[in-house]
Amino acid sequence: MTETQISIQNLNVTYNGNHALKNISVEIPKKQITAIIGPSGCGKSTMLKCMNRLIDMTDNVTFSGKIIIDNEDVFDKKTDIINIRKKLGLLAQKPTPLPMSIYENVAFGPRIHGVKKKLVLDETVQKCLAITGLWEEVKDRLNSPASQLSIGQQQRLCLARGLAVEPEIILCDEPTSALDPVSSQHIEQQLLKLRKDYTIVIVTHNIHQAMRLADYVIHLYLGELVEHGPANDVFENPKEERTRAYINGTMFSDLKIDKEVDLKGNICPYNFVLAKQALHELSKGKVLKLVVDDPLAVTEVPRGMEADGHKVMSVKQINKTDWEVVIQKKE
Amino acid sequence: MEFRRIEESIFKALMILSLVFVIGSLLFVVGVILWRGLPVLSFDMITKTGEGGYLLGKGGGILNAIVGSLYLAAGGTILAFFLSIAIAFYLQKEYSGGTRLSGLTRLSLDILWGTPSIVYGAFGYIVLIYFHIRASLLGGIIVLALLEIPIMTRAMEEVLKMVPGDLKETAYSLGATRFETTLKVVGKQALPGLLTGVLMAFGRGIGDAASILFTAGYTDRIPGTLFDATASLPIAIFSQLSTPLPQVQQKAYASAVILLVIVLVISIITRLLAKKYTRFIIK
Ligand SMILES: Nc1ncnc2c1ncn2[C@@H]1O[C@H](COP(=O)(O)OP(=O)(O)O)[C@@H](O)[C@H]1O
Ligand SMILES: [Mg+2]
Repeated sequence: MTETQISIQNLNVTYNGNHALKNISVEIPKKQITAIIGPSGCGKSTMLKCMNRLIDMTDNVTFSGKIIIDNEDVFDKKTDIINIRKKLGLLAQKPTPLPMSIYENVAFGPRIHGVKKKLVLDETVQKCLAITGLWEEVKDRLNSPASQLSIGQQQRLCLARGLAVEPEIILCDEPTSALDPVSSQHIEQQLLKLRKDYTIVIVTHNIHQAMRLADYVIHLYLGELVEHGPANDVFENPKEERTRAYINGTMFSDLKIDKEVDLKGNICPYNFVLAKQALHELSKGKVLKLVVDDPLAVTEVPRGMEADGHKVMSVKQINKTDWEVVIQKKE
Repeated sequence: MEFRRIEESIFKALMILSLVFVIGSLLFVVGVILWRGLPVLSFDMITKTGEGGYLLGKGGGILNAIVGSLYLAAGGTILAFFLSIAIAFYLQKEYSGGTRLSGLTRLSLDILWGTPSIVYGAFGYIVLIYFHIRASLLGGIIVLALLEIPIMTRAMEEVLKMVPGDLKETAYSLGATRFETTLKVVGKQALPGLLTGVLMAFGRGIGDAASILFTAGYTDRIPGTLFDATASLPIAIFSQLSTPLPQVQQKAYASAVILLVIVLVISIITRLLAKKYTRFIIK
């Protein structure tokens, strides 16, 4: 059993009456990469924001529970937030360079935490830029504005800036979603290298990224903790149906289809009538799969079905001309 | 389709019209001032103070008014700056928490902004009389600062509001305190905009006559201390225009040229400074 770095106990977060995290309890292992996966809006970012108390910046939010890091409860009034944030570096979704030079960006953290000696700062800046592979690229223009770097370089700068504060934990909120594939790969490689010295928590809705990086996986869905466990177990043998469905790409790809109707060759309004007839013959809650090839039907049939109160579960192109529409009859 | 084309050309025409109107009025004002003022502008005017009876056509210049105006506007702007920056930062959500008090502060500032400057002048005058103080540089500076604070504060507040929340979150996530975030990140990002706010207020301050009419006084000498009365360009222009002598009236236009040049030079300096700091800004 590995050591626990962050222990989350009964975490609840409510934004303005919207229950964003529901009674989450989970332990995040030390010096491993933990991936938080789940569709967007399921509360992944919220969970990170609780850990470094950035949630304090939000209006109309209430939270309860405990997050224990090094025997200290992050939510406890007596806890020094500055200290917590020093311990947890953050790599945001969009690169966020500060309005200053490349050098000053990295030196920012050490400076506010009291490092004054130029020599020490120089050394830290060089070391952190080197870890993220940026040193060679920027050593001749350390004094130019950070905003002049490419997006990918900016993200590595942000990582270097976080490391300069000497955190124990690195939180990454979809750190590659704004980057091109090459830069994304760069960041992933660095995270893998950093794993031996840091506890890394990465939020991603890219399941392949999670598979490449994670040692431990937490699956959230609509604010609930669906499943968590070592990456191998979760990816290869998920205990929960919802996790299996999520990993298989679309949330509903494993659903049982009760009836299949081929509507190829029909034009649109007629498509809709035929689909309705087929659905009529099914009992409530059953699932109908349609195959259509009229481009208009691809948008209009799902729209019409939704207007009638049925649930459109997926719309997927299966080959050059054909589309598959899966509809569940309303209860 | 046809309708959209027509619509587009209408808006294009309106845009060109407004551009012509704005640039035209600027050129017209500057042109008239230069045309009337340049021929009478002399070296003596900007190097000599008024010799007794200057307004009656005697010799001398308006150096006293030039220096006086610079003292007044610079003093007023510096004083206003320290107060405005504090108020503007306080009005940010992290500090005031968007309370009723901050709303009230904003409302008061807007009312003060709309208050005619003669009202400030009259108010200053009453205060001076009450305390038995004579019109002085200090009195002028204080009234100008009052005049400039609403302009500067509201301009600065708008600029601070534009600073992206991401930047603040980044600073906080690195363990910066609220104060460090304000000073080292928000302040840096907003600096060019803050400078522009200062410039706007300075322009208003140096051009205002009514507010300092009773509070700064008028004299032929350059003030030596804060408690001396001082001349100023707007009032010099006003007095020169109000004399019955055409040769003195003409000098009013020359004074206006000087005022124009000062404002222009200050604008250019501010622009250059702002540009220098814009380099680092995150867009
Ligand atoms: N500042 C906020 N105010 C109100 N609701 C929010 C705020 N941030 C997030 N939410 C809501 O909380 C839920 C979870 O959001 P988030 O944690 O950002 O999800 P994720 O990162 O998984 O996409 C969403 O329903 C979102 O609308
Ligand atoms: Mg998110």
